[in-house]
Amino acid sequence: MDVSRKLPVAILGTGNIGTDLLVKVLRSEVLECALFVGRNLQSTGMAKASSLGVRISDQSIDAFVRNPDCCKLVFDCTSARDHLVHWPILQKQGKIVIDLTPAKVGTMCVPAVNLQEGLQAQNVNMVTCGGQCSTPLAYAISQTLGKVEYIEVVSSIASRSAGPGTRINIDEYIETTQEALEKFTGCGRAKAILVLNPAQPCIDMQTTVFAKVANPDLPRLDAAVRAMVAKLQAYVPGYQLVIPPIYENGRIMVMVRVQGMGDYLPKYAGNLDIINCAAMAMAEEFARKLLGAPAPRDREGAA
Amino acid sequence: MDIRKQEITREDCATLFPNGPAALAGLRGETLLVTGGTGFVGTWLAELGAWLNDEHGFGLHMILLSRQESDFAGKAPHLAGRKDIRLLKMDVRNVQEFPPEVTLLVHAAGTPDNRFHATDPLSTMDIFVRGCRSVLNAAARLPALKRVLHLSSGLVCGGQPLDLPRMPESFAGRAEFGSVASCYTESKRMAETVCAGFRSQHRLPIVVARPFAFIGPYQLLDRPWAINNFVRDALLGGPIRIQGDGETVRSYLYGADLACWLYAMLLEGQIGHAYNVGSPEPVTLKDLADLIADQLSRRPKIERNLATASRFQATRFVPDVTLAESTLGLQRRFPLLAAIRRTIAWNQAQA
Amino acid sequence: MNPTTKPILICDVTLRDGSHAVAHQLTAAQMEVYARAAEKAGIGILEIGHGNGLGASSLQVGLAATDDRTLLRAVRPCLSRTRLGVFVIPGFATINHDLKPAIQDGADVVKVASHCTEADTTQRLIGFARESGKETFGVLMMSHMAPKETLLEESRKMQSYGAEGVILMDSAGAYLPEDVAEKVRFLVEHLSIPVGFHSHNNLGMAVANALEAARHGATILDGTARGFGAGAGNAPIEVMVGVLQKAGFATGVDLYGILDAVAVAEREVITTVPSIRGISLVSGLAGVFSGFAKHVERVAKEYAVDPRDVFFELGRRRAVAGQEDLIIDVAIELADKGGKNRGHP
Repeated sequence: MDVSRKLPVAILGTGNIGTDLLVKVLRSEVLECALFVGRNLQSTGMAKASSLGVRISDQSIDAFVRNPDCCKLVFDCTSARDHLVHWPILQKQGKIVIDLTPAKVGTMCVPAVNLQEGLQAQNVNMVTCGGQCSTPLAYAISQTLGKVEYIEVVSSIASRSAGPGTRINIDEYIETTQEALEKFTGCGRAKAILVLNPAQPCIDMQTTVFAKVANPDLPRLDAAVRAMVAKLQAYVPGYQLVIPPIYENGRIMVMVRVQGMGDYLPKYAGNLDIINCAAMAMAEEFARKLLGAPAPRDREGAA
Repeated sequence: MDIRKQEITREDCATLFPNGPAALAGLRGETLLVTGGTGFVGTWLAELGAWLNDEHGFGLHMILLSRQESDFAGKAPHLAGRKDIRLLKMDVRNVQEFPPEVTLLVHAAGTPDNRFHATDPLSTMDIFVRGCRSVLNAAARLPALKRVLHLSSGLVCGGQPLDLPRMPESFAGRAEFGSVASCYTESKRMAETVCAGFRSQHRLPIVVARPFAFIGPYQLLDRPWAINNFVRDALLGGPIRIQGDGETVRSYLYGADLACWLYAMLLEGQIGHAYNVGSPEPVTLKDLADLIADQLSRRPKIERNLATASRFQATRFVPDVTLAESTLGLQRRFPLLAAIRRTIAWNQAQA
Repeated sequence: MNPTTKPILICDVTLRDGSHAVAHQLTAAQMEVYARAAEKAGIGILEIGHGNGLGASSLQVGLAATDDRTLLRAVRPCLSRTRLGVFVIPGFATINHDLKPAIQDGADVVKVASHCTEADTTQRLIGFARESGKETFGVLMMSHMAPKETLLEESRKMQSYGAEGVILMDSAGAYLPEDVAEKVRFLVEHLSIPVGFHSHNNLGMAVANALEAARHGATILDGTARGFGAGAGNAPIEVMVGVLQKAGFATGVDLYGILDAVAVAEREVITTVPSIRGISLVSGLAGVFSGFAKHVERVAKEYAVDPRDVFFELGRRRAVAGQEDLIIDVAIELADKGGKNRGHP
């Protein structure tokens, strides 16, 4: 592909998430990293970006104020509090913002479910790692079996993949994930549970979706879940169905496991990888739209 | 390199395991990265790893990290050319990423040479503190990492009182601070705290080893430590010169024992524990000089530098290794006399 | 009695941990009647709720028959001397949805629990409970899985967040008395806040371990009426109180009072008195969360696999509290292998 036909993007936040995203952007056929922005030139992420020949800045949001034309799209990988400061500035500049923080300013988007809705927004929120993992399954259940009385998702992640931010913000994780589940299934009662497991070697992220439904039509659900898993695998290669839908003890249960791509973060950090993969899927779709390139395949949900 | 030297170190490896190396079976099929990989510790780990591969089919892959990786071929040519040993040129202070296949890590970088500490205390602190941080930061992103062994120093416990026969891990002695002379001990202490931080915050499975004093092949005889100088003086025909009255007490663990102990700590040590590594067999420098002199066919003279004796403060540095012996089942296979004999033989085999 | 011995705070968890034994089906009426008896007996803290605490009613662990608020409001008027306790695990419950309402409904004591290596998940909840003026303890679950040094570090985190005591939970019933001695003594020596112990009886050690903990300086001990709890159950509180009394510890609990309370529990609450059956023993040996017992039995039957194999495999995978979904994963895997997982110890 012609290099000039790539959408210039910037990554704001040079921690583990931002740096992993950088590796993914550098591999993209439709995105190019115009700027990698943080606060500390000495950070590991900055050193990595430099070694990859990426332009870096330690001016944080001021980098955009000084150089408003540097890019069309910004990934915000900082924190919810910082995003609230960044968004008005980026909004005025007309940037598309993909928000990986739990700030929930923009439209909550899970590419396998509501890609098209996301493309209409200027600020797209990527929910949570557990939300990216579980809502597509919950959505498939609600689309196939009709009314869902109650939906519950349990994610177990490797302790080592949960940084200080995740640990202190578990309540926000739970609330945001529940909100996304309710939005995408229309079910008024959703519960999210997060478990950290310190086993060594590290476990892969594992997510179980439970549902209480009036009509557990397993054969139909099985087909719908498998189709949804395939749709996710198009942008999250490590997403695997472990237990196809079963009906046990009065509940529907589906289990998936997510292994990361191992770009910058270790493979066991499937929870961090999936939100980055989802952000990439979103950004690439924006790029195709803005560059006028045809989408390689339709990823929109079945509804 | 003299073939006899290789025979000596391989015989040493065999001596370690009278009943076979089952205790180190956890190394089978693993990929080990050693920072400071071409130093005394790293070379011995490589020597033993190579022997386990050759004699027992361990299938251990070793990656030796070093700033001067090119020196290794001269120092250990039989190891440098092997397929199971890879050399990687990297300064620990600037480590960003390690090869993703690494499953075991030994952080042994940084010299204990106090001449370097005296001349360049800033780099010393940088290597031990920032180096440790960079290494563990990269380790925290290794996908298949099972365990980390951090090499600290017996000195972190502070000065050993003369009336304490052996210093246990829990001993808290007086430690100098705020002087150039304290830069090594203080940065080694800080590095242990950095390890605790990574263990707590990133759940890195880190075990700490606190080395005392060692002797054996690959030990450079120009190092400013009594035993090295005594062996060097003896090999040159003497006289062996003792600083002071010779009442200072040390103990020495042989290189092969050291490698075996470190592997056991890496594999079986309790996460978060620190283990002394060294010999509990005390010897005065006076007796050590005699012991070394006795090993040579033409016994060199021994001279005591009595001019400084009145001002020379005798010290003691002998570990209590009960913790390693009782919880990890470790034993020394080379008592001091054997260690000295092997060291002299290896150095005499020098071309 | 040794005058230097500190009194032991007895925490009765019959109406919380006991919930595991009846799939969280305890009713408000049952709780009320037992709470009155516990109050009469002079129990220090009475903890109530779902087995995994506030907000834990779920398909994962089990849906509770009665919601947290109804239970708290029912029990609150029954207690005056005895403090009303709640248990909460971050990841299951949140401040807004669960802890804040529980405090509004009159909880006096908040125990915030995490897996024994994950204490930094408790910062916000401990902080909130303290700011609300509630007596707050940290709980390290599955504490047999970490060495004493780690337990100390994690306890210190909880202490720094504001915990007024740290309780080691032997969630799997895997401790032997020497383990209790080693860990409790170490924490007591190094912490400036009280240390507690919560026993389970999988290896028949629950009371012995509670006594051992007291002898090494623990001043908070958990128990349940007749050991009512999942699997092999907990330390029978009446036996624990009697034994502590004999060993010279003050508990503030009236022996006849607690025996009467236990009689009430037997009549109104306890369906089956726990005993050490083969699979409970295996669960303790495998070091698996006691609360898994009922799920393992049900799932093993459904998939025609040996529940003992399920426990050992869960232990091998180092499952932690809250990972009940793994039970089905393991059972399916074992069933695929032909129902028998040979080669276990």
